Amino acid sequence: MIPVIPAPVPVPQPAPTWLLQFLLVFTFILHLLPMDFLLGGVVMLTVSAFRGRNDSKHREFARRGARVMPAVVAFAITLGVAPLLFLQLVYGRLFYTSSVLMAWFWLAVVFLVLLGYYGVYWFNLQQEELGRRAAWVVLLTAVIFLQVALVFSMNMTAMLHPEDFYKEFLNGEVGRIFGPLTNSGLARFLHFVVAALAMAGLGTALLSRLWRRDAPEFAAWAHRYGLRWFHAGIGTELLVGLWFLFSLPVQVRGQFLGQSQVGTGLLVAAVLLAIVAVVAARPSLAVSTAAIVGTISLMAVIRHLVRVAYLEPYFDPGSEPVRGQWVVFTLFVLLLVAGIATVAWMLYVFFRPASRTA
Amino acid sequence: MNYPVWEPPLLGGGLIIGLIAILHVFVSHFAVGGGLFLPVTERKAYRDNNPALLEYIRSHSSFFVLVVLVFGAVSGVGIWWSIGLVNPQATATLIHVFVWGWAIEWVFFFVEIAAAFIYYYGWDRLDAQTHLRVGWIYFGAAWASLFVINGILTFMLTPGRWLETQSFASAFFNPGMLPSCLVRTAVSVALAGVYALVTASAVRDVGLRTEVTRYAAKWLLVGALAIPVGGLWYISTLPPMAREISMGGAPAVTIFAGLSLFFSVLVVLFTYFGPYRNPRHFSLTFAFVIAVMALSSTAVTEWVREAVRKPYIIYDYMYANNLRPGEMERICQLGILRSALWVRVHEVDPQALETAGREVFRVECASCHTLNGYNSIRFAVKGWGGPMIDYQLTHLNELKGFMPPFAGTEEERKALGAWLASLGPPPPNLEISPGEKAQTPPLSPEGAPRP
Repeated sequence: MIPVIPAPVPVPQPAPTWLLQFLLVFTFILHLLPMDFLLGGVVMLTVSAFRGRNDSKHREFARRGARVMPAVVAFAITLGVAPLLFLQLVYGRLFYTSSVLMAWFWLAVVFLVLLGYYGVYWFNLQQEELGRRAAWVVLLTAVIFLQVALVFSMNMTAMLHPEDFYKEFLNGEVGRIFGPLTNSGLARFLHFVVAALAMAGLGTALLSRLWRRDAPEFAAWAHRYGLRWFHAGIGTELLVGLWFLFSLPVQVRGQFLGQSQVGTGLLVAAVLLAIVAVVAARPSLAVSTAAIVGTISLMAVIRHLVRVAYLEPYFDPGSEPVRGQWVVFTLFVLLLVAGIATVAWMLYVFFRPASRTA
Repeated sequence: MNYPVWEPPLLGGGLIIGLIAILHVFVSHFAVGGGLFLPVTERKAYRDNNPALLEYIRSHSSFFVLVVLVFGAVSGVGIWWSIGLVNPQATATLIHVFVWGWAIEWVFFFVEIAAAFIYYYGWDRLDAQTHLRVGWIYFGAAWASLFVINGILTFMLTPGRWLETQSFASAFFNPGMLPSCLVRTAVSVALAGVYALVTASAVRDVGLRTEVTRYAAKWLLVGALAIPVGGLWYISTLPPMAREISMGGAPAVTIFAGLSLFFSVLVVLFTYFGPYRNPRHFSLTFAFVIAVMALSSTAVTEWVREAVRKPYIIYDYMYANNLRPGEMERICQLGILRSALWVRVHEVDPQALETAGREVFRVECASCHTLNGYNSIRFAVKGWGGPMIDYQLTHLNELKGFMPPFAGTEEERKALGAWLASLGPPPPNLEISPGEKAQTPPLSPEGAPRP
């Protein structure tokens, strides 16, 4: 089937494609971290909410973990806006098409996120009052966020297949075309979910350091418990990642299996860093965290290369004319620096020991 | 034309965007005005040494967080989601013009969210001065976010010199930008009062409730009274046809413009004679009545703002159906079915006119019209015979200034006409046979036949 790709709009790109692609990948990495903590976190909290009925450690973990989640959701959403912006600018012609074809499912994401967000607040604010029902609230919340992840995985996979667009259009009703749950889409979904579970485990171990002051025994338990999720998650991820890799078409996966030195090198480095993160977790959480952030960053680059390889026969994002808006871009960079400094200052004053003098 | 067309039944894409956008506007302006209300009231509590007021503003901040951080943030993203689904071509254009504007807004959004959390969780952790500073940072970021989005929004109605220069500065500093910013800031202050009335009415202590109710009513009144100043300025920047549409040119829009004024005046009167003059008798029910009227005012005003932009989605640049005036000539020569990517037939088959007509409708009309629901096309052509429909389609933009011209070949127009005629047979007294085409009845300004 001939791919149907819309023509570009007759307004030039406001910056060179390499810069937009860099920002797309960079801001996606920023989004991935809270998104992993959110998705893996609600699953971990669900387990603890049920186990907490008979286990005080899990009960305490559900209580403390729930307190952190509203901020995690807020940052997962906020930091998700930027990569979506750059995605629309560079790959909009594919992304809008696949989104419209699955419009009902794609629009449902908004309502699901809203429900999931309130679910997180409900679980946090009313855990005591809800009693045994609290576990069901957080279970429902986890299911909601997993659905969001599924729709994202399917859309991000669908946009890589413009050769299927018109066939799907002819065979289905616009808005209801979810696409078959392909091997590649399912493997992508599981790849992200398992990564999220591992990262939430590491996040728990990191959080336990904050809990050491007021509950040292519980903090030690949470540290061990978090690392168990982390180790199991990374171990499973090696298998799921392999499945994902081999679910990709030959010409795409070949880029990471010797055909391209850059692609292969990146994949090897990402896996090695993940192994370092697992081995270093017990002796040094800082080294482990740095290594896994490295893995995530490299994986985001690999994900981008997978996209480029998929679309290479049909789509060249660099073909649009460019008219750089450099003044306003410079303003953006300056404001970004000022914004980060402002947030850093607020975090500093928040976490420094201080006394209320009202 | 470039993208597949999604046709949500009954609501239509436009109303889906509208519903999400109206709720978002009602909350996001509170996010700005409420962001001012928090530090100003907190400072007042310190200055007056009023711990009860401080306790009130603290509990108000948790209400604020639950409404603004969750619903405000997600519904804002929801607008983006829905415009991309309903108007992908226009959205792509906006993103090409304004990506750095949105990127800057994203920075403010990030600071805003971080500040809101630190303000909310910082009541017991931060000293009073630092806590207040965080509150001001929140307000600064929230207002800056409004400032940026307002520029993008007004561009769609008053693109000004961008049509010639295509530069970011001309697009952003468009004629409607400043007056609209003034109106939206005033609305934000008024909505801070509306929401504060809701939380004030729930205060148990009678003395405090009376004090806070009157104080909140003042916010509402000050904001509401500033709106007309910016409003008149804003109206003066509108394109002449947009003004005309709202002032008699299109009856439905004029009625809604009147309703906007009506609800706004009602909110002011209820607030003045209710919580401002008689704060002791104020109740939660009364607060909800004011909130519902304010929401109604927001809804009809936003609806009018969208409606006066017709027939464009980006004024003088792109029609509401995502076609551009600049490409009309080519489409009329080549045909819409051959120009569009996402149609099931690319030729008009004389044996299956209605099939082709349905496809033409999907590409040209479905972004505004549904079949049976909102802005129903079946209702719009009810009682019209074939010649009448053809006459209307031929002179669409002349008869109805708020509609784009028909784009396509004569065959395609006939095909669309055949499909429209098939939606419902006209009643016997208005039936016109094809032979009577030359005697088509004269038309009223709305395009309906004169009795």
